[in-house]
Amino acid sequence: MLSIDHLTLSTGVDGRQVDLIRDLSASLQRGMVLGLVGESGAGKSMIGRIIAGHIPTGFEITRGRVLFDDKDLLSLDRKAWRALLGRRIAFIPQEPLTALNPVLTIGRTFNEHLAHLGVAPGRRHQLMLEQFEAVHLPRPADLLHRYPHELSGGQCQRVLIAMAFVANPALIVADEPTTALDMVSQVNVLRLLAEQRRQHETAMLLITHDLRLAAHVCDDITVLYAGEQVEYGPAREVLRRSRHPYTWALDQATPDVRGAQRLLSALSGQMPGISALGSMAGCRFAARCPQRVAACEAEPPAATESTPGHWVRCLRPRNISARVPIAADGCETTSADRATWQTPTGDASAKPLIELQDVTLRYTARRGLLGQRKVHNLAVDGLWLKVQPGEFVGIVGESGSGKSSVAKLIVGAETLSSGVLRIEGRDRVLANSEVRRLNREHIQMIFQDPHSALNPRRSVYRLLTQTYEADRRAVALAGHPREERAQELLTDVGLPEDTLTRFPGQLSGGQKQRVNIGRALCVMPRLIVADEIVSGLDVSVQAQILNLLIELGRRHGIALVLISHDLSVVRYVCSRVIVMQRGKVVEQGKTEEVFSDPKHPYTQLLLSSVPPADPSIAWPPAVGAVG
Amino acid sequence: MSAIDLGASSDTRSGRPSVVRGALVRLARQPRVWVGGVILLAAMLLAVFAPHIAPHDPLDQDLLHMLAPPMWAPDGSSAFPLGTDGLGRCVLSRAIYGARVALTVAVIAAWGSMLLGSTLALLGGYFGGIVDRLINYVVDLWMSFPPVVLSLILLVGLGTGVDKVVLAVVLVDWTRFCRVVRADVLVTRRRDFVLAAQLLGFSHWRTMLREVLPAVIPLMITLFSIEMGVAIIVEATLSFIGLSVPPAITTWGQMLADARNDMQSAPCVLLTPVACIIVTVLACNLLGDGVRVALDPRLRQRVA
Repeated sequence: MLSIDHLTLSTGVDGRQVDLIRDLSASLQRGMVLGLVGESGAGKSMIGRIIAGHIPTGFEITRGRVLFDDKDLLSLDRKAWRALLGRRIAFIPQEPLTALNPVLTIGRTFNEHLAHLGVAPGRRHQLMLEQFEAVHLPRPADLLHRYPHELSGGQCQRVLIAMAFVANPALIVADEPTTALDMVSQVNVLRLLAEQRRQHETAMLLITHDLRLAAHVCDDITVLYAGEQVEYGPAREVLRRSRHPYTWALDQATPDVRGAQRLLSALSGQMPGISALGSMAGCRFAARCPQRVAACEAEPPAATESTPGHWVRCLRPRNISARVPIAADGCETTSADRATWQTPTGDASAKPLIELQDVTLRYTARRGLLGQRKVHNLAVDGLWLKVQPGEFVGIVGESGSGKSSVAKLIVGAETLSSGVLRIEGRDRVLANSEVRRLNREHIQMIFQDPHSALNPRRSVYRLLTQTYEADRRAVALAGHPREERAQELLTDVGLPEDTLTRFPGQLSGGQKQRVNIGRALCVMPRLIVADEIVSGLDVSVQAQILNLLIELGRRHGIALVLISHDLSVVRYVCSRVIVMQRGKVVEQGKTEEVFSDPKHPYTQLLLSSVPPADPSIAWPPAVGAVG
Repeated sequence: MSAIDLGASSDTRSGRPSVVRGALVRLARQPRVWVGGVILLAAMLLAVFAPHIAPHDPLDQDLLHMLAPPMWAPDGSSAFPLGTDGLGRCVLSRAIYGARVALTVAVIAAWGSMLLGSTLALLGGYFGGIVDRLINYVVDLWMSFPPVVLSLILLVGLGTGVDKVVLAVVLVDWTRFCRVVRADVLVTRRRDFVLAAQLLGFSHWRTMLREVLPAVIPLMITLFSIEMGVAIIVEATLSFIGLSVPPAITTWGQMLADARNDMQSAPCVLLTPVACIIVTVLACNLLGDGVRVALDPRLRQRVA
């Protein structure tokens, strides 16, 4: 029904033609799901834009066809194309909140959409209610008068799904439909999409960065790397018997939430950007490929069919019989390596580094004309937490569970409303200013968004050693020249020498996060609080950062409180875990014990919302397993 | 609190010079910056070297040549290139001398309102809470006075003189800086790098100056050049109604007031100060606009 044929999208960079997407072929049958998988910058969203007819200026399709119902979309005129969009082809965007107009009610937006589809005004109201019912939205009649900001992200996405399916389209293009949502909402939205697709017999093009999720949801998967289609085949085949080293590396870089623990092998380096593509003659993955040979860089490899329907674009595809993990440097990880790897447990006999006893944090919002009415909101409710020196503790929960508030409490950016917070045995509230200052030095924070956490006007050198500019510098820095320290930190976080003079704007996301970590390390803290530090990164970069954290923790004996919504990340790094829901701790204990035998229903719910590594396990779970 | 601390340039790794250089390169690419800058520079040179450039003393009354036409008119003379006014004073000389007051007021008043407004904006935006609310109440109250009435009241109370005019403009216009800069401070304040600096042991004062202030400086420069234009107009208005400076000092507003009587017979006397005001204010606005486009990162992509 949809067939993409040797599609090549090009742009001019410095007067040379660069193929942003090179020779992409795929086809999609009625009622099936095709997954487009790739990391950020792989060009996967561009495919969606091509189908929508939104090719950015400066880009041009130089080769290939996109056939939809045997019509070439690229040769259609604007009017015929527009007639297809919304009716035969519908879109589900990535950011549900920004996709809905904030000044219009849901009813108005939906009504306009129905008007575009040519539904008679008299029928619209009934149709809207039916659609909302179909996507399991509560109180549909009430919803029509609500504004987008009054709904949760998951509810907004449901509204958009209802709008997409109302025209009974033949094809749905969903660009990262669940990336902005919580884990539990993600499962619900995916389940809803599957249900709606079955009812309407709709085909779906799912664009995602998550290989495992795609393997569970899709029938076919095509993996993109820097605009090149590296592998294409049946979903389970691609995940279980990956032939291309990149697909294999992607899977290897993803931590598991169940089963045996293993060392993540992270690819070194990063995906080349558009400007670098022009000078690449051969395989675009060659520079990072552990199995490259000289011929790889000579010319682009042709796609070959290894087994029927499973295409791979590689000169030396992986031999599927030998299942040895590859390491970043091209050596294979030894079993000894995997045996020594374990999450840092810390020193249980020592005095606890921090101790929170029955801590609560209340936010007070002022309402009314003069702010006379106060509304209290309990962000953290009766939290008990102890962190030993050198121990890695994870805090998991969905957004709004209060886990970021815990981070702010520990670093002292928020003052606790009640309870006791002891740092190295001393009560923070009662301590004098000198102790407080020392405490502050011993606890550092790594921020979620490396872009926001780095002052764009400081060079990497001045960022890493920013603490040297602080007012009264502690003993830790005495006799340690700034240049020398910067060099040490650079080696510690694994950045090349020439980054010192660069600015954050010239670094990649992973590099920025390394600078972020280095800056926190500068004072040699005893505890680092890391708030969602890998959630914005690609999988291969995420694996690099996680391995770095473990190594740094072991080398310097630093304790870590890792806050994350991703359970597999927490399991990989932390020896102890705390599960939070609406400000309360619902379960805690050793990570392995909690994850292998969750007691609380909420923990079970969270665990079931992680796509399993084995594609033969049915996922998303059936209704009932997830509330 | 010098905005761009050039002392750090001795440290080759500091990278600050390259930030400044990048900003200068972007400024140089803006034609508006060039046009506005060149006009303002020319006006400033004229003002500084007025005694050497002006053909006559601006106060010399040549009663034999009252309302002389400009030199290109049939009976004009090259002694008075733009003619004379009703008291026989050289219009060109008066216009040149008038630039002195206009530009002095423009630069000092804009600087003063920038300092006052931005300092309060930084304090309010950074500390928030009661400090911010207090400053906001004052700004709200202040802005509800009509600006002309406020400056009139101030000048009646203070008396005349260039310094009084400067003070009046500062006291009226600081609120503009406070409002706009505070919004930018609030945005920067919420960035994580501000919290990071505090965790690294930076005091509030240092965080404010090192992390927050540099982020709002481009906006302050933009507002500064626009404020210069506003100050020129306010000064002209005040001297037009004779409340600005003593009659012994020549200003454009005064020239306008004097020319009113002979508007029909000698339009050049009226049009000269009008043209001076328009050209300098336009130059200020062009410069401000160009600086904004060059330094605002949100507009940078479109420019490139």
